[in-house]
Amino acid sequence: MATLQIEKLTKTFPAHSKGGRPVRAIQDISFAMSGQVFVSLVGPSGCGKSTLLNIVSGVDSPSTGTVTVTQDGKKARLGYVFQDSRLLPWRTVMQNMLYVSDLPEEEARSNASKYLEMVGLGHAHEMFPGQLSGGMQQRVGIARAFSVSPDLLLMDEPFSHLDAITARSLREELQVMWNATKKTVLFVTHDVMEAVQLSNRIITLAHGGTVFDDTTVELPFPRKASDPEFAAQQAELLGRFETMELERTAAKG
Amino acid sequence: MSAATMSNPPGFTGRTVRRALRSSWGARVTSYVAFLIAWQLVGISFFRVPTPWETLDFIWREVSGGDHGGVRPGQFWEHFSATVPRFAIGISAAFVIGVIGGLAIGSFSFVRALLSDVLLVFLALPAIIWAFLTVMWFGLGWEAPVYTVILSAAPFVAVNVAQGVRAVSPELRRMSDAFGVPRNRRIRSMLLPAITGYLFTGLRFAVIIGWNAVLLAEWFGAVDGVGWRARLWYDAARYKGFVGWAIIFIVFIFLLDGLVLSPLQRRAFRWRASPTSDLDAEVGAVDMESFTNTARGL
Repeated sequence: MATLQIEKLTKTFPAHSKGGRPVRAIQDISFAMSGQVFVSLVGPSGCGKSTLLNIVSGVDSPSTGTVTVTQDGKKARLGYVFQDSRLLPWRTVMQNMLYVSDLPEEEARSNASKYLEMVGLGHAHEMFPGQLSGGMQQRVGIARAFSVSPDLLLMDEPFSHLDAITARSLREELQVMWNATKKTVLFVTHDVMEAVQLSNRIITLAHGGTVFDDTTVELPFPRKASDPEFAAQQAELLGRFETMELERTAAKG
Repeated sequence: MSAATMSNPPGFTGRTVRRALRSSWGARVTSYVAFLIAWQLVGISFFRVPTPWETLDFIWREVSGGDHGGVRPGQFWEHFSATVPRFAIGISAAFVIGVIGGLAIGSFSFVRALLSDVLLVFLALPAIIWAFLTVMWFGLGWEAPVYTVILSAAPFVAVNVAQGVRAVSPELRRMSDAFGVPRNRRIRSMLLPAITGYLFTGLRFAVIIGWNAVLLAEWFGAVDGVGWRARLWYDAARYKGFVGWAIIFIVFIFLLDGLVLSPLQRRAFRWRASPTSDLDAEVGAVDMESFTNTARGL
């Protein structure tokens, strides 16, 4: 299983225009995660969650600090699920799965078939994304990320663009998939309920890109929002959120 | 036939005809018929304008090797078979050069800064200038038409491909970055399909411009070919010969578009869910934007 080590990470974006001010998205964040864990990053919009994920994936680079993702001392293989499916519309579902894989073709095909089956799209290999609904496209996006055999799976608010019913169904499917594979997952969301349902650990980022809270969730899987323990954990987290907002308001004066 | 079957409901025939005329198919047929009637009227009024029938008769004699009043039997195939290889070589080379140039201009800001003004100059130069220049450089023969096609058509492919590259979705690029997709696979599976709409727009421009270019170059600088043959009739002041060849040029472009380019484009876009999907509208809009931008240069 992969190990992610983030130390004193800061990311500042340069000013957009002359005379503008640089924007600090992340400020001095440090945390580590390793093994069969599902870690959620929660926080308000603009607190740097997606930026952090982009830096971990290597799409963006840090201003200062270090990010290392290793698997048994070697560079880890990453999978990524985006807010939208980001499928190539001119390629079939199977071709989209193979596009991102660096596994030998036979293994890549077998993995793709396995995970498409898991998300209920075993029949859709030869379909084009335009022939699928938004929810089905996102299922392909999830299957694609699992199919590359990632050591670390990054998920950036994968259900935020879906309707509530589809999102709920996909959350349940993701829970099943994670329990079957036990991948190391870093999951970004602004939905506390979603974080409690899926994670073993929840890291809360505050405005300004700092870590406000780091807590473990020890409820048994599968988790249901109607369970009292679930509701209690969610209420506790929301309470901390409120504290964070109150502190921010007080600091502003 | 009984009286009952003879009588239609009142207004039935009129309504059907009106509906047919108002359809897009009816409008198209109406425009052809109106054009032919106008041409016939002008043809019988002015002796220097051949009528549609005279022109058609000329084309048939030219194509079938028939007699043109005792002199110069029809030589369509001889000249057509001289021109088509020049056109095909020129367009193929223009396409390859245009795609490579367009990919470089679209991908690298340094190449864009280096070549965008040069490209604008090439776009602004009319084919006739290239025809004169290449005849001066290469003399009479096959080289002048081929190089005129390349120099006239390649910039239109390049400018469209460059626009296509710059319009590739940044989300798809970032997805490819996140998964570490190798460069060759990105070009083959993401970049080239993404610019297909632009590529076809560029190819259509290139075919039309290249066809004009080959005719001009043969007109001024060849000893055979369809351009040379059209000039022969022009120099002889045989109006129906000249107009007949102009019709042949137009028909060739229509056939090339209908039998080669359109089926290729349909095949390239077979991934679209339905012909009226949003994606279709998007690609259509892209084509129109590309046409507009090409007309303005970069």
